[in-house]
Amino acid sequence: MMSTLKSFLRHPTGMIGLFVLLAVVILAVSAPWLFPDDPWDMVGAPFQPPLSEGLWLGSDMLGRDVAAGIAHGARISLIIGVISTLTSLVIGVTIGATAGYFGGKVDEVMMRITELFQTIPGFILAILLVATLGPKISNVIFAIGIVSWPPLARLTRAEFMRLRGREFVQAAVCQGQRPLTVVLRRILPNAISPIIVTGSLAVASAILIESALSFMGLGDPNLMSWGFMIGAARTVIRQAWWMSVFPGLAILLTVLAINLVGEGLNDTLNPRISRKR
Amino acid sequence: MTDKTLLAIENVSISLPPGADRPFAIEGVSLTVNRNEIVCLVGESGSGKSMTAHAILRLLPDRTGVAQGSISFNGNDIAKADEPTMRKLRGGAISMIFQEPLSALNPLARVGQQIAESIITHTKPAPSREAVDARVQELIRGVGLPDPVALARSFPFQLSGGQRQRIMIAMAMANNPALLLADEPTTALDVTTQKQILALVKKLQAERGMGVLLITHDFGVVADVADRVVVMRNGRVVEQGTVDEVLRNPKDDYTKSLIAAVPGARSLTRGDRKITGEPLLDAVGLNKTFITKQGMFLPPRRTDAVQNISLGLKARETVAIVGESGSGKSTLGRLIMRLIEPDTGSVHFGGKDLLSQRGERLRQMRRKIQIVFQDPFAALDPRQKVGDAIAGGPIAYGTPAKEAMADAKRLLARVGLQESAASRYPHEFSGGQRQRICIARALALKPSVLVADEAVSALDVSVQAQVLQLLAELREEMNLAMIFITHDLRVAAEIADRIVVMRRGEIVEQGETQMIFQNPSDAYTRALLDAIPGRAMFAGPGARQAEAASA
Repeated sequence: MMSTLKSFLRHPTGMIGLFVLLAVVILAVSAPWLFPDDPWDMVGAPFQPPLSEGLWLGSDMLGRDVAAGIAHGARISLIIGVISTLTSLVIGVTIGATAGYFGGKVDEVMMRITELFQTIPGFILAILLVATLGPKISNVIFAIGIVSWPPLARLTRAEFMRLRGREFVQAAVCQGQRPLTVVLRRILPNAISPIIVTGSLAVASAILIESALSFMGLGDPNLMSWGFMIGAARTVIRQAWWMSVFPGLAILLTVLAINLVGEGLNDTLNPRISRKR
Repeated sequence: MTDKTLLAIENVSISLPPGADRPFAIEGVSLTVNRNEIVCLVGESGSGKSMTAHAILRLLPDRTGVAQGSISFNGNDIAKADEPTMRKLRGGAISMIFQEPLSALNPLARVGQQIAESIITHTKPAPSREAVDARVQELIRGVGLPDPVALARSFPFQLSGGQRQRIMIAMAMANNPALLLADEPTTALDVTTQKQILALVKKLQAERGMGVLLITHDFGVVADVADRVVVMRNGRVVEQGTVDEVLRNPKDDYTKSLIAAVPGARSLTRGDRKITGEPLLDAVGLNKTFITKQGMFLPPRRTDAVQNISLGLKARETVAIVGESGSGKSTLGRLIMRLIEPDTGSVHFGGKDLLSQRGERLRQMRRKIQIVFQDPFAALDPRQKVGDAIAGGPIAYGTPAKEAMADAKRLLARVGLQESAASRYPHEFSGGQRQRICIARALALKPSVLVADEAVSALDVSVQAQVLQLLAELREEMNLAMIFITHDLRVAAEIADRIVVMRRGEIVEQGETQMIFQNPSDAYTRALLDAIPGRAMFAGPGARQAEAASA
């Protein structure tokens, strides 16, 4: 584990990603102190360009502070990104592990269900779910979790099928270990690296889906989010570019940072690549 | 003298990067290979024998290099030759074949193409396509493969291990090399295939007057093909001489121990072990067919891995199941372990039907039948401490963790490791030590049947002898019945009370070990016996004849 950490610290792009991501996390955590006011409050005149009096990034068409929106939006984006990825990890790993370990009919059934979800366009299903269940943050997380688990399930299944036939796993079965112990203690720890990598990349796509939902007005109306800011500002983009460009940059940087971290993890957790370093 | 000498390595040392277990991979190694002779380089893993061969072609790993000494080939020093010169030599005047022909061939190119490549690379100006094709077919025919035209068009995965190694040899012969370096060319092959490949190498060597440097860890192979022998240990040459000198009259203690370790030289089963009574494990009419889908339009491929096999195992008895790869012997072992389910047939253990057990009842039965796998590197979880691996079984059956761990430590001491090994991870151990750990893990549950699936095949001969000795002791101490699956009749001869010979999923012959060796009734068994490397030198009455002939 220490050697993994060390080789990650020597991974240049991974470290850049980690720094940017840390900056976003710090921004999100310190948002209530940096911008103690509600980001929905009018704090100045509408349509103020960036670097106006007290408004670093300008104000939007209702006089709300764009900078405050971005800081508070960071909280929502990160929370949704992480929790919905955890949701999809729980669903995907459970289904993939069961299918991969037991094989046969169980595998058939599980994979048909997975394919069902893979054939439905993910984003449309997310829209449908949020529109039906109501635009609450918990429903958004649920919707994103539901549409993003199939790749994780497929990956977990493949890893489990590979490890299932390995001799140390068979030895554990012969030792009389119960199936649950074999799965959790023997197979999962050896399959976890690629799952972590894919999971970290799934955080980025979850943030994008959330932004897209909010852009369409399906985000939680009580919470400021980057997607909502861009969506609200799109009608005035020719008069006031800053209202959509800054939240857009925030999404770009965060997603890019997470992808860089994911790539870095991939390189360091993959023994074939990391040994060369 | 000098025009006889083809390759002369003088006082060569190869430095290892700092932090390795020793400063030099090989130190002060000197050896020569003459034209028209086979020199065998013998040693255990880690002795530096492969490094020596790789140094000749300068194929050393990063951060290692020839620190001192000279390597002269045909009178030219190639230790300091520039890269273009070396490139011309590799696959030209000096070629090399490797241990694992599957990984040495490009999986995505047809084998004919790969042979052609080595011709084109070394021929200026480039020959015509027809000439190359004709030469490729000539080479394939030269290594004894049928239907060269069809074979040149196949991919490596479509060939058997022996065929692949023949292709490798054809490729090595492409430019009529003066020197062939063969790095354990038969270690991954069955005994019968090994015999054919060795005969082929010997034939080609004699036809072309080549010098061959053959690396092996098996003195049986040495006895069969070598003219001269060089024995290496820990990077140094401990003894060299003609094959007769070294094998019949070894001077160094290490050479003596290596020769003594050749399996088949002694029997661990002495006298009557008084095995009587009803079978403890009784398998009747087992069948298993694997069906692999071959794509949408091809019929699925059926492999009858195990066909109508019946096998009884009495308490304390050791039965060896012997066969080549693909004979179904491992499948049979896994059927008995219930790691795979048979299509038909029954297995009774202690009077109970093993195959109808499910869930918790099956789990309770499992503790009585344990397995040791072939590859000690794959059989241990890299993320689990050794002590936990051994204690895991008893804990799963309700032994308190503390007690199980104390037992695990005692077992580790019994199999010849230190008790402190319990808190270390598998990667800190050598292959032989890992196999001891696997044995301890299997025995922690106090089984009455132990299935050893090629348990010593991946080990060096000397380690193999120690592990066999350990198994022979443990079976007496713990009253174990053993199913010993192996491809090596020599190993079977040492440990088994009874030998079962399998071929293509069927039993062709079975009987007492002595009887199989002295009086085999089946032609296939006889072929297996004939293929034992070094049989003339090591096994039974044949040895005296060979001695008489050489005298």
